Amino acid sequence: MSEYLLLIVSAILVSNIVLARYLGNCPFLGVSQKMDTAVGMGMAVIFVVTLAGMITWVVQYAILNPLGLEYLRTIAFILVIASLVQLVEMFLQKSIPALYKALGIFLPLITTNCAVLGIAIINIQEEYDFMHTVVFSFASGVGFTLAMVLLASLRERFPTARIPTTFAGMPIAMITVGLLALAFLGFTGLVD
Amino acid sequence: MLAAGLAIGGLGLLAGVGLAVASRVFYVYVDPQIIEVEEALPGANCGGCGLPGCSSAAQAIVVGQLAPNACVGGGPDVHTKVAEILGVEVELKEPEIAQIGCRYSVAKADIKYLYDGVYDCRAAMLLNGGAKECPIGCIGLGSCVKACPFGALSMGDDGLPVVHEDICTGCGTCVRTCPKDIITLTSVSNRILGEYTTSECTAPCQRTCPAGINIPEQIRQTVLGNYLEATRIIKERNPLPLVCGRICPHPCEFECRRNLEDEPVAINYLKRFVADYERASGRRLQLFKAPETGRRLAVVGGGAEGLTAACFMARLGHSPTVFEAMPKLGGLLRTVIPESRLPRDVLDWEIEGILEMGVEAQTGKSLGRDFTVASLLKEGYEAVLLATGGWDAMLMRGQEPNVEQSVPGLYLLLPVSLAWALGIDVPVGKRVAIAGGGEMALDAAKHCLQLGAEQVTIFHRRSQQELGLPDSELTKLSDQGIQLLFRSTLTQLKGIDEQLTQLVYRQLASGNGGDSIRSAPGRFKETFLAVDTVIAAGGRLPEMIFVKVPSLEGEESPLLWQTISPYHEPPPVRTEGVFDTSEPMSDYRAAVEAIGAGRRGAASVHLYLAGKQVIPPENMITTVTKVLDVGQVENLMPAEPRQKMPERTTEERVDPSLEVELGLNEEMARQESARCLNCGLICYTRSKYH
Repeated sequence: MSEYLLLIVSAILVSNIVLARYLGNCPFLGVSQKMDTAVGMGMAVIFVVTLAGMITWVVQYAILNPLGLEYLRTIAFILVIASLVQLVEMFLQKSIPALYKALGIFLPLITTNCAVLGIAIINIQEEYDFMHTVVFSFASGVGFTLAMVLLASLRERFPTARIPTTFAGMPIAMITVGLLALAFLGFTGLVD
Repeated sequence: MLAAGLAIGGLGLLAGVGLAVASRVFYVYVDPQIIEVEEALPGANCGGCGLPGCSSAAQAIVVGQLAPNACVGGGPDVHTKVAEILGVEVELKEPEIAQIGCRYSVAKADIKYLYDGVYDCRAAMLLNGGAKECPIGCIGLGSCVKACPFGALSMGDDGLPVVHEDICTGCGTCVRTCPKDIITLTSVSNRILGEYTTSECTAPCQRTCPAGINIPEQIRQTVLGNYLEATRIIKERNPLPLVCGRICPHPCEFECRRNLEDEPVAINYLKRFVADYERASGRRLQLFKAPETGRRLAVVGGGAEGLTAACFMARLGHSPTVFEAMPKLGGLLRTVIPESRLPRDVLDWEIEGILEMGVEAQTGKSLGRDFTVASLLKEGYEAVLLATGGWDAMLMRGQEPNVEQSVPGLYLLLPVSLAWALGIDVPVGKRVAIAGGGEMALDAAKHCLQLGAEQVTIFHRRSQQELGLPDSELTKLSDQGIQLLFRSTLTQLKGIDEQLTQLVYRQLASGNGGDSIRSAPGRFKETFLAVDTVIAAGGRLPEMIFVKVPSLEGEESPLLWQTISPYHEPPPVRTEGVFDTSEPMSDYRAAVEAIGAGRRGAASVHLYLAGKQVIPPENMITTVTKVLDVGQVENLMPAEPRQKMPERTTEERVDPSLEVELGLNEEMARQESARCLNCGLICYTRSKYH
């Protein structure tokens, strides 16, 4: 049990998918202007990442490995993830139209979110078993959401902050992200 | 190899089938209209409509959040198609195109430093607002050209962007990209409605011109020999160039930057030259007009102001009718200006041109006698603009002394007092309001009480302290039934049919320090007061726009009307409100000022009809606005001295019907126009730069 706990802490804080592994920067900067869309995006990513982790694990061990086609991993995973995101999009449009509208263009963008592909590949590289894959994928998604929420809560305060005009907009967001990443560096060593 | 192909292919097939099933399971009904509309839209995702893409625009159009003509990139074809799908009538949108507001490239402008960084205007902007001294000048790195999704912009040889008007869709992408806001979207209406603002490049002459003619462009076209185009530039702002070219006191020339070197450019002579050229060509210029709206408007007063207002209303697409009391149009231009300065055939030609724009005229019809404000509104005119100018000494008109009442319940103080002094009976209602102070107003108030008024209210612009009225005096007056309101001004009149019923006034909240209402705009409260008669202490009636108050009770109910004030220059030059007693109520010193006011009157009516607030743009340039300027000029091109206007000899002047000034000939006009420095905010033409 403690093993899973460590895996979770590691995925959320120590090797945070955005702030330590630098994956998924596009939605991280793109949707983090408002808290509610940031949370929505985070939830969508958790959902997609967990599902993608499970399915890609099955694809790897049920199809690619037995056929000796490990070298096709990337392309196979992209295919799976792309179809999965389509599915999620349809599902959201039907079931949670509010979230579907809030995410807008960023939902199809999850297709090209390298965090999703990255997590799927890490799962295989680290040779996790199925349970570990599920836990790690889910925790990585939570880590992504945490980073999103942190940045969104900071960016929501920008309008009231006295930012030099040169830095206004994207530059100050980048600087903030850098500082966040630096802060997360402090978790190094928390888990072996 | 086969296995690999099969594996990926199978995976793809599986995913495909899975998605096909899912699309059935998770099927969401989408209004087929949305899909149709989306297909009709151009799909450029330019964002000109304000939404992130064409698909969200399609949704918004179908649910009615956006108008069918919201797509700026599409143009009339798309609008018609969208309207067809929705089964509605489309109000075709006036085409808008981008216009570049800077005339001097970085190479020809004063600069602060040499920029050699990232080739993008927005990057250059970060370095102290760009290299130019001028805060609103083009940086010239072509970010707008790169941004244009339709390829309608290119960089010209002179280092400034050029708009290809036939390709430009008016989507506004360049406007949003330009960090200097020098690109604006313009349409005919916008150009008519537009006031010069502090964020625009304007020359001193242009800012000073009460009509706001783009003088640098007018003279540039004259230099190029495009005399008709020069006339068109003038007519864009002033529909009476022949008249103004002869009688204008040309305040523009006093501000001409050439004064710093020698003598001003003879702007007005040049105006007359190109206007005469148009007339001599025998062919009248066709000015751009906005699409017809079919809305009927009435203008009372056929002088310079009324004619201008009607002309601009027609150009904005409306159908105006001018009502003139005299048998012929022209007002003071016809009755006061001597023929030796303004030949009548010139005036007639000019007025003919205005009528050809789509202005109807009814002459010999007097407000209050032949028709009334209420009768016009009942006839279907949507607004009545009162532009009667300085011709309101009602007592003077006709054989028998009599006070006419042109607006229900409204008198001017002077004729009324005169009439009373002569023993003529001028009835007043039970509740009287007098706008404006002074002893005469007090006398009039007392006379009203004798005539049977029960309550008289006098509106003073200034404070009690300023007027030096002791409280005891006030008590005495109020015992008689005269109430004084200080630091107040009338802003609106309301009435039913031929009856004035109510006025709205503004009063500064007490205890605010300050003295008059003009020193503290904004800190006032608006109050209604029931009245039957208003007496205005001014030489004439101010411009007022009368409109119908929407009524729920159908056609049979009595007609409710109210006034709205056209916007003027913001304070302190002129304050809002119907009556401004501290000055002679827009009594124009020159025709050109009346022309400026006429255009603003038309613009105000247009804004009102469009459901917008009747206010000028926030950063509008007024006569007191401080704008960037230069105090000296250097490296000027060598130029001839100012041309002298050829005149008739003294012997020839015996005939008063002959025009004294003869006008410049083409050679003189060419020489004179070459003297123009083609000024911008701080730029001007020089022999060498930097």
